[in-house]
Amino acid sequence: MINKYLALMVSAVAIFATSANAGHHGHKSAVVPTITQEAVLTGLENPWDVAFLDDGTMFFTEKCKGFSVRMPNGDVHALYGMKDSSGYADMGSDLHCSNQAGMLGLAVDPDFANNHRIYVASASTKYHGNGCKTNFERCDGNIVMRFEVSKDMKSVSGRTDIVQDIQFKPFESNHPFGGNGAHNGNRPTFGPDGALWITTGDRHRGVCPQSPTLICGKVLRIDTDGNAHPGNNPPKGYDKRIYTYGHRNVQGIAFRADGEVFTAEHGPWHNDELTMLSNGKNGGWDPQQNVGGRGDCPDEYCGYMPNQKKGVIPAVRAAYMPMSDTRFPDLMKPAWQNNGYSQGTSSIAFLEGSQWGMYEGRAVVGIMGIAFGGTPAGMRLDVYDIAQNGESIRSVIHLPVETKRYRGVTMGPDGALYANTDEGEIYKITAK
Amino acid sequence: MKSLVFGFLSIFITVYASSATSGDIAAGETRYGVNCFICHGQAGKGMASYPKLAGKEVAYLIDKLETYRAGTRIGPNSDLMIMNAEPLSDEEIANLAAYLSSL
Repeated sequence: MINKYLALMVSAVAIFATSANAGHHGHKSAVVPTITQEAVLTGLENPWDVAFLDDGTMFFTEKCKGFSVRMPNGDVHALYGMKDSSGYADMGSDLHCSNQAGMLGLAVDPDFANNHRIYVASASTKYHGNGCKTNFERCDGNIVMRFEVSKDMKSVSGRTDIVQDIQFKPFESNHPFGGNGAHNGNRPTFGPDGALWITTGDRHRGVCPQSPTLICGKVLRIDTDGNAHPGNNPPKGYDKRIYTYGHRNVQGIAFRADGEVFTAEHGPWHNDELTMLSNGKNGGWDPQQNVGGRGDCPDEYCGYMPNQKKGVIPAVRAAYMPMSDTRFPDLMKPAWQNNGYSQGTSSIAFLEGSQWGMYEGRAVVGIMGIAFGGTPAGMRLDVYDIAQNGESIRSVIHLPVETKRYRGVTMGPDGALYANTDEGEIYKITAK
Repeated sequence: MKSLVFGFLSIFITVYASSATSGDIAAGETRYGVNCFICHGQAGKGMASYPKLAGKEVAYLIDKLETYRAGTRIGPNSDLMIMNAEPLSDEEIANLAAYLSSL
């Protein structure tokens, strides 16, 4: 029934889209594909990310439980759990979840066939040390772990914490969504260069995004031991693991076929952004107080100002607290700013394969959106035709899928798009 | 005399409790579908950092919604809930509580 409904919707879209875009922009096809959607897994608890092997084996995280693997025959093996979880082959008592934080992204080593390695990001208490006593100091509370998966795919071993100092928010603050554990980023992925890329969030700390030494509000590029990529080019004095800085909360990162890397970044009640990254450059987010014409802000974080407890016209907020502040000379210009709204961008992927027709090569993004302060709700997947230079979009359409809170989007080895939702499902979305 | 006072008190408590829990489940489901589900998920199952509401006690749900409606912060997402609870009528709160507690 749902599939029939979707097919009808797609047909309607096709009539418009074909006439509007046929033959434009060098796409390989003017055909609008028929989209179908089916659930692969249901009843999960906040599945946050998935990653595939070539044979369709699918690893996935659940934010407050741990990570598991679904075999091609449908069997699921629970591999590594968090504190207080049960049923996993092994567990880490330091791994915990709280509000937005928990076990978030994971990535499969490009050489998995030989080394059986996977990489998982999570909140952890293991490296708090003498920090984390207030919200206004260093708190090494998000990590990236490397594991080796057993040959029978039923357990993992050799946990090595290759990044130990991604910042974490330890306490509630006087902000909207102000609980601890805010803004972690934590979406690792491998690039075509073989490097491991990791996104981080500003954790509601004003100094984070522009800090040269704290790796919060950054995109990192490292090797699989956690060392900086030799090609990184951050400003002098910055942590060499930094590829770009000045970010708010990057939950999405993906590579276009030409190798360019794009992020999807969640805005603060205004201006969600898609941005083509440039080595060593600035995303332009700087929520510090007493800079950029601002005065004191609640708990030294201006991210939701002005008038942070009430609805304010997004453009007014954007003028006061811009996502991409033009006072930075090394600013990266976003390709898209959601017409000034924030509807909660989560993950991004590029649609690969001719089955996607005119959408081949375009970016698909999860829009979670809770309809706050007069902003329209999200709960959809959008497809963007991003300009070659990465500085604008040519078009955006809603993919005809069910209304869900899409947390993650990942291309599968079968050419389908896999989308995981906060409601607890992992969907296979197929184009024909 | 004591038994008379006790009798009136019992009747009062019964009537009060009845009125407080007599929300319309169907109307509550309709109201929940307007926007509550966007954060709290289908059938109040909860998702992300938004808590599960299904199966909570009526009195608990009414208390929380009335507290938010009064503009009182009681958790990290209070600002969001205050904004959404402010326009709710007593009847809508009772209906929402009846629906969510029935799940």
